[in-house]
Amino acid sequence: MDNCISVNINKVTKVLLNTKALNNITTTFEEHIIHGIIGPNGAGKTTLIRIIASLLKADKGSVNYTLGNKKVSYIKSYLGYFPQEPSLYPDLSCQEHLEFFKALYRINDNDFNERCEQLYKVTNLTPFATRKTSSLSGGMYKKLGLMCVLLNRPKLLLLDEPTIGVDPLSRRELWDLVYNFAKNGMTVIMSTSYMDEAEQSNKIHVLNEGNLLVSGNPLEIMERYHLNKIEDIFLTMGTPKT
Amino acid sequence: MISKTSIKAIALKEYKHITRDPFTMIIALVMPLILVLFFGFVVDLDYKHIKIDIQDNNNSQMSRRFIDILKSCQYFTINKVNSMLGIKSKINRNNTSAILIIEENFDRNIVKGNSGKIQLLLDGSDNAKAGILNGYLNGITSSANKIYSKQLNMQYPKELIRTRFLFNTELNSKWFTVPGLSTIVIGLIAIILTSLTIAKEWENGSMELLLSTPVKSIEIVIGKIIPYFILNMFSILMIFIISLLVFKIPFESSFFIYSIACVIYVTGALALGIFISVVTRQQQAAVQFAFAVGLLPSFLFSGFIFSIENMPSLFRYFTALFPQRWFMEISRTLFLSKTNLKVLLVPFLAIIIFAIFVIILANIKFKTDMEP
Repeated sequence: MDNCISVNINKVTKVLLNTKALNNITTTFEEHIIHGIIGPNGAGKTTLIRIIASLLKADKGSVNYTLGNKKVSYIKSYLGYFPQEPSLYPDLSCQEHLEFFKALYRINDNDFNERCEQLYKVTNLTPFATRKTSSLSGGMYKKLGLMCVLLNRPKLLLLDEPTIGVDPLSRRELWDLVYNFAKNGMTVIMSTSYMDEAEQSNKIHVLNEGNLLVSGNPLEIMERYHLNKIEDIFLTMGTPKT
Repeated sequence: MISKTSIKAIALKEYKHITRDPFTMIIALVMPLILVLFFGFVVDLDYKHIKIDIQDNNNSQMSRRFIDILKSCQYFTINKVNSMLGIKSKINRNNTSAILIIEENFDRNIVKGNSGKIQLLLDGSDNAKAGILNGYLNGITSSANKIYSKQLNMQYPKELIRTRFLFNTELNSKWFTVPGLSTIVIGLIAIILTSLTIAKEWENGSMELLLSTPVKSIEIVIGKIIPYFILNMFSILMIFIISLLVFKIPFESSFFIYSIACVIYVTGALALGIFISVVTRQQQAAVQFAFAVGLLPSFLFSGFIFSIENMPSLFRYFTALFPQRWFMEISRTLFLSKTNLKVLLVPFLAIIIFAIFVIILANIKFKTDMEP
């Protein structure tokens, strides 16, 4: 299996528009596994993902990336980032999107053709290659967004609520897609409000009002805190005083 | 290092957006033509059939000849008067714009080789009109003098009147307004078009995806400018052809120099639009800013309407900040006079500095993160 990125978050604090979006967060996102960042709306999930994607700077604390044994200073070359609203260009077709991102990620023609073929196959979007994104369904639109991101074969895949607003069948397909790629050497960090999705992660990081309540394997956490469902963690722990 | 592949990809993407969006195509290609054609015909600074009262106190062959010359041009409607009574109130009532009094010794003075004396009373309440009228009369007296010189076998140029018009000898205001209008229209359209492009990416959220890739801000800026640049150069060419064919404006200088000036000016204007877009991040605010920045200085500080020479010194220096002022000078000079690059060195330097400055500024201000 290829090396992939691990992320170390150390005492990160971020204030956005006078609100403490993240408060002294320390956690580790180990390589090769699927991490779930869970929490209600306003918990700080997107802020944390954006900080990891280096789209926001931490006011305090540090974020360190490691690839194998090497420190990585510029994460964007290894990154696949799927924002909460991956707004694609409505007047461009699926294929035009892929060609655009091919140039931005500086992928050569051979790799591009091979990856395109694979991505079209797993997403079942081959018949829609020339269709404009404005006429794609919600699920297909998300799949295309994910295809653009996966084209880079990222070592670190960040997904910010990828399945929000998607029907259950498309949700299932998107997850299959992520699991398939994660197996081949990729660290996946995704935020979600769906607890069933969180339970499928190898490790979860529970956020509430900018604080990290707990992180660890979902089953271990449920066992440790005697929970029937993972969402009960919010009732059990609430917000820790700082 | 700047990646040509990324720039090409962004330029190609932008080209597709432009060609698939009829609104952008209309703004870029049709609107400049409509504006130049419309304003070119509407903005007419020529006054015709101006009412003039003439009191001929000389009543000689020469003075009558002078009146005939005035009558023969289409600018004036002549009304001969015998008395100056009530003349002031006539001007006040807008019944006449000027009064011309030919002095008693008009012919004698000319025969002696001196100036034939004519007194001109102008309605100064409309100083623009008065200035133009004065210009017309100077032009006509000049041609009258030529005739007299010939008649009296005087060696020309023994100039009896010293006023002379350079370049726009026919005093055709179109020759002056159309190159000016092109400056305004080209600049405005360029600023408006690019002011939307980055703001649009921020508003629809695609910028977040774009910024997570290794693409650099300068690559986005250059990639965004290129297709609009080509589009603008095309509309400049069309405006140029219209100026020559429809408005019959002579083009006296080098087309090559004019093209270089257009390249620099358009680049600066497009970069200014990008800068507005980068700073505002919202399409509505960007368009409002673009109109304010593109339109107001074009009309107020470019010399199009108000002569820069007549402005207070503080404003004269202030106008130097606006590329429209410099391109206006370049455009009018190249259209109406045979000149070379050396003469236009300062305006050229000014638009080059402006273009470089705005590109750097847009690049610096371009946010490569999601910080509010």
